[in-house]
Amino acid sequence: MPAIRIENWERFLVSILGPSSPFGQHDFIIRRIHSLVGLVPIGAYLIFHLATNAAIIDGVAAYQHRADQIHRLGPTTIFVLEWLFIFLPILFHGMIGMLIVARGERNVANYPYGGNVRYTLQRWTGAIAFVFILWHVFHMHGWIRAEWWISGVASRFGGHRFDPENAYSAAEAIRASWLIIVLYAIGVLASVYHLANGIWTMGITWGVWTSPHAQQWAKIPCLTFGLLLGFLGLGSLYAMVAAEPPQTLVAPDTANIPPAIHASPRS
Amino acid sequence: MSNTRHPHPNGEPRASQSDGRPGRNFNVVVLRQDGPGRPSYWERHIVEYEQDMNCISVLQKIAANARTADGRKVAPVAWDCNCLEEVCGACTMVINGRVRQACTALVDRLLQDNPEQIELRPMRKFPVIRDLMVDRSRMFNTLKKLKAWVPVDSYLDMGPGPRQSQENQQMAYVLSKCMSCGCCLEACPQYLKIELERKEGETEEEFHARERELHDRAFIGAMGIAAVDLFNTNPVGRMTATERLDALVAEGGIQICGNAQNCVKVCPKEIPLTTSIARAGRAATVHMLKRWFDR
Ligand code: SF4
Ligand code: SF4
Ligand code: FES
Repeated sequence: MPAIRIENWERFLVSILGPSSPFGQHDFIIRRIHSLVGLVPIGAYLIFHLATNAAIIDGVAAYQHRADQIHRLGPTTIFVLEWLFIFLPILFHGMIGMLIVARGERNVANYPYGGNVRYTLQRWTGAIAFVFILWHVFHMHGWIRAEWWISGVASRFGGHRFDPENAYSAAEAIRASWLIIVLYAIGVLASVYHLANGIWTMGITWGVWTSPHAQQWAKIPCLTFGLLLGFLGLGSLYAMVAAEPPQTLVAPDTANIPPAIHASPRS
Repeated sequence: MSNTRHPHPNGEPRASQSDGRPGRNFNVVVLRQDGPGRPSYWERHIVEYEQDMNCISVLQKIAANARTADGRKVAPVAWDCNCLEEVCGACTMVINGRVRQACTALVDRLLQDNPEQIELRPMRKFPVIRDLMVDRSRMFNTLKKLKAWVPVDSYLDMGPGPRQSQENQQMAYVLSKCMSCGCCLEACPQYLKIELERKEGETEEEFHARERELHDRAFIGAMGIAAVDLFNTNPVGRMTATERLDALVAEGGIQICGNAQNCVKVCPKEIPLTTSIARAGRAATVHMLKRWFDR
């Protein structure tokens, strides 16, 4: 019986984490920051990230152009921005989130209500998205830009596959295996669900929509937002898989150069 | 249930007919426990069908008979009840997997849903005292922590209280119907059980003080949040609103709610708990900002 397992698990958690929250007196503020950080910067970045990736739908050249625009900021600025506004907030949100997941029970079997299903999915997608993002950052970015790490560890274990100079490398990394494509699809959908449903629960937590009618109504924009973002994410993923390799890499402009000039230095 | 001796007693004899028609028998399985901290075990009883039975009359029959389905003589099953009309909440238990009041759980309906048997077990979120009786003192401690009352103790005549708007009255009336049954807590995935064992040589008072301390740090639950909402909208209660808001955002406060909204679905008094949670959430947001900027 699953009920048996849950109670044992609970008892175990209570024994190691204490009877109430793992955050003690700072519970309220930590959870409110956790909630806020999920929206800004993480949620905002997810929208930005999926929207910029969607440039691949317009072709590899457009995608390269987008990458160039971002990376024009220079390595130091990018380093500061990505750690301050992306990595650290995600690590914080994810780790606090895992503790929150551990401090609740799943009881959809006995109480199969829509709200409870969404609550349970919120925990599942949160955990999936966190693990996915940890791997995804490693896979594309490598986490640490130091030379010894990239050549010694990241590249060796299939990480650091994205080269901003050759943005097409992202598409290559994704289509390397059907498993990676599936993992990306799951990761994107989990993140999008977690954000869309998270915005809805945030509205209750912070007291934006209070009446049942308002809460019901608020589901519509959240659902619409989630569907649009989901389509955008999956569309970009599809475009990544279908992308044509950039012409420049296959035939580096030699076709346009007259053979005579081309040949002269060698002769 | 780490200590359940065996799951449903499949091997034991069952009532021959259990379709719930008059004059037939039906099965009742009860999750029993002989005392606090003791192992629990399932026991099957056969109950003779009568018209218009509810789970309390089923339990009365079981107690009168005090024999299991295989004819073993056992101590009568213990349970709580009082009003028998769903206003006291004493008889709350988990019936066929769902928390509700036994006095209004009608046998005809239960057998319609599951003609096989009726399953009774104590609430899982509270320590069992015996069989279906649980210790819900944590709810009372929560109400004390939240100061869920209107302070009017005084020897002086303070004159008539402030007037309440019609709208306010109606809202307060709905919230005041709470009978502290604990259904909302039982169904809440964020509300976890707290069960303490008495240490050796510990006096009753010491034990309860230790328990109170743990209760004060654990989740207050939907019932507690609705109580804050109720007393903070009362014109007199509002005078001590800050104290309640402090307790609302303290350890174990409203922040633990994960918006599963099971509470509002199972509340027998149809209290708009999720509305209270959102309103209290808004009050908590404002309170937090005030406390930050008014330091
Ligand atoms: S709010 Fe409803 S379910 Fe919760 S204790 Fe009160 S009456 Fe029971
Ligand atoms: S809405 Fe909050 S209090 Fe109600 S069941 Fe869900 S987590 Fe518990
Ligand atoms: S006996 Fe009072 S609610 Fe059932």
